[in-house]
Amino acid sequence: MSTSSTFTASPFVGKTFGITVAKLNKKFGRTTVLRDIDLEVKPGEIFCIMGPSGSGKTVLLKHIAGLETATSGEVRIGEYDAADPETRNKVHLALVFQAGALFNSLSVYDNLALYPREHRECNEAGIRERVMHALAILSLEKSANKFPSDLSGGMKKRVAIARALVMEPQMLLYDEPTSELDPVMSATLTEIIATLREQTAVTSVVVTHDRDLAFNIADRMAFVMDGRIRGIGKPADFKNPTDPVIANFLNPVIDLKNPRFKQLENSHE
Amino acid sequence: MNNTSQTIRVGLFFLLGLALAWITFESLNGGRLFKKPGYTLVAGFANLKGLKTGDEIRMAGVKVGAVELTRLAGSRVEALLSIEPGVKIPTDAVASVEQSSLLGSNYLGITFGTPGGALLKDQDEIKTKVTVDMSEVISQLGALGSKLEQVADGVSKALGGGESGSSSLFGKLDKLVTENGPKLTETLNNLQDVTAKLKAGEGTMGKLINDSKLHDELLASVGEIKQAAADARTFMGDAKLIVADVKSGKGTLGLLLYDEPTASSLKVSLNNLREVSNKLNSGQGTLGKLISDDSLYLSVQSTMKKADRMIDGLGDQGPITAVGVAAQSLF
Amino acid sequence: MNHLTTIVGHIGGTLLLLVRSIKFIGTLPRQRARFIEQCYLIGYTSLPIVTILSFFIGSVLALQSGYSMENFGAKQFIGTLVGLTMARELGPVMVAILIAGRVGSAITAELASMKVYQEIDALTTMNIPPERMLVLPRLAAIVVMMPVLAIIANLCGWYGGALVCEYTHSISVDSESYFTALKEFMKPHDVTDGLIKAEVFGFVIVLVCSYIGLNTRGGPREIGASVTKAVVTSLILILVLDYFVTKALLMS
Repeated sequence: MSTSSTFTASPFVGKTFGITVAKLNKKFGRTTVLRDIDLEVKPGEIFCIMGPSGSGKTVLLKHIAGLETATSGEVRIGEYDAADPETRNKVHLALVFQAGALFNSLSVYDNLALYPREHRECNEAGIRERVMHALAILSLEKSANKFPSDLSGGMKKRVAIARALVMEPQMLLYDEPTSELDPVMSATLTEIIATLREQTAVTSVVVTHDRDLAFNIADRMAFVMDGRIRGIGKPADFKNPTDPVIANFLNPVIDLKNPRFKQLENSHE
Repeated sequence: MNNTSQTIRVGLFFLLGLALAWITFESLNGGRLFKKPGYTLVAGFANLKGLKTGDEIRMAGVKVGAVELTRLAGSRVEALLSIEPGVKIPTDAVASVEQSSLLGSNYLGITFGTPGGALLKDQDEIKTKVTVDMSEVISQLGALGSKLEQVADGVSKALGGGESGSSSLFGKLDKLVTENGPKLTETLNNLQDVTAKLKAGEGTMGKLINDSKLHDELLASVGEIKQAAADARTFMGDAKLIVADVKSGKGTLGLLLYDEPTASSLKVSLNNLREVSNKLNSGQGTLGKLISDDSLYLSVQSTMKKADRMIDGLGDQGPITAVGVAAQSLF
Repeated sequence: MNHLTTIVGHIGGTLLLLVRSIKFIGTLPRQRARFIEQCYLIGYTSLPIVTILSFFIGSVLALQSGYSMENFGAKQFIGTLVGLTMARELGPVMVAILIAGRVGSAITAELASMKVYQEIDALTTMNIPPERMLVLPRLAAIVVMMPVLAIIANLCGWYGGALVCEYTHSISVDSESYFTALKEFMKPHDVTDGLIKAEVFGFVIVLVCSYIGLNTRGGPREIGASVTKAVVTSLILILVLDYFVTKALLMS
């Protein structure tokens, strides 16, 4: 499968944006999900956020997408406040949701066509061209008239990515893009993310716990653990991590004789 | 679902709704959903009596429009009348608030006015008249009742029921009769005497009654009596006039009853009479003895009974019936 | 947070949703397809149940009033009673209750599942306000469809009453005098009042159900909870609003 070779990004010329997260705190009721997050994503880079489940990385991503408002601190996309709805008029920002978040009442084609139609970016013929192009990238042409309920989890994710591509985004946020995908599709996706960045200079933020994906494409990466940034750096910095927690996360030793769940009481820091 | 057929169905559905709404409004009160072309008249009233927007306007019972608006205008209320086109209302037509049922549904009635006269135009003011509504009728009935009561009171007073009996007609008559009682007794006394003689067949009259041969002659004279009854009717008519005169104080009797000085002189003479009767009562003089004697009363009674019987006898003969009919028709 | 502030918050949120939706009224012409789809779902597909229900409401009304009015010889006013009650009260309220159960619940279920499965979030990141795409066409559809349903309900109720009056032995008021009585005391504004009421109810139902759907949090289980909440809230609002709207209409 060589879908990436057929891919040529739309000649999207635009400004790329960086992301600045400063002193971000988020509480849901009494539970603190994010504590004093500070990070910076440079324009055009692929930034991976890694961390165990429930560490708050998806919530962080939602703050960048403007779907959550911070309890304190701020998130800026370029010079704009991410929480301000107006920002989305200025920055083409696409979020690929973990479960796809496809519109169940619309066919795959209409899911993809929704954005250009709603924003009246081109006529129906132009829309068709764009949609079919995006579908071709993810080898989904045959599924164009299916409904999301007929698709498998992996298919849904691919449609979600295709939908993000149709938006011609300046910033792409991925929430667990490779979960539920088979290894070949995961590899394809990795290539797509990398190719997209190369051809359109789009800023990408990838939330994942897929080591292969992260180490293959990331320019820089951050580890979020228990709502805090545990470490930020280039992938090379984490090849042989000094932090035992990160090391344990990246290269968990499977010890069937002395299972992890039995160590938990002792090793809890 | 095909998109086109969906659009068509929704469109049809909506049109159906519009049509039904139009039919509904059209059938209710002639439909004011869309304002009909026509013209507007202004009617001023002191009281609209619950006439409200949408109420009918009827000309001789036929609907010609609806009340468009009611409003206060200074010291009166105005109703704007929306009249259907083509309805001609002359300037002398009169509008009034009418009630279509006792339950209180109102409409505005307009009279025809003079046919062929000048017609009212848009925004003209129509003449109005005040009508009674149920509440007024009822309150007037109440007033009428109290007036009737007053009249009845007066009548009963006049009949002597009142305390000032002496001043009323019947009171005075009553007085006359009671105060002349002794004289009447005397008359009855004489009558008894006469009837006794009659019974015994004494004298001409007695013979006349007791002699059966004379019966036929009496029958012959009934005709004349009938004639006399007719005369009596006219006489009674005259009497009525006289009574009326008396009431209004005309004539001697009138003067007698209503004129103050005459009345006082009458009183004086009555006083004299009373003096006489007092003397009679105490048994003074021949007449007095006559009255105070008990046996006299008894004999009077028997006389009366006899007279009764005689009248019964006469009743069979007819003339009395004729008089009765005459009397009935008179009173 | 205590209950009062929660309720005030919900009221504010609902009004905000209304304002945000109205703001996009200019986009309605190009959302024509969505609007017609909603008209179809809200109006056309509700037609059979509205027809049947209002027909029987009118019939029962005639039957009951015939039974009780016979006692004081006012049978000839059954038409008036059925007509006025259907037009002013039962027509709008019954249609509203049906719409709350049939349409309101569907709206809440759809929006709640969209929310739970992050479709709403996806719309937001795509810079497509959910108010514009999801709420406005529904509000517009109910505004257009509600009077249609209400007038159909009125007429069905009237005819139901007429049939019962004519063919019930103990009542036997022929339909001619039934409709004469109906027309005698009914003014066009009685019907318009009813339509205004229906309009208000329908609008509030859609708005509230949309709000509750869009504010669903949690997992799929919350969708069911939201639907229940939406229908219960709608029913309460219908009857509470009924009082105030009626009062306002009678005063005007």
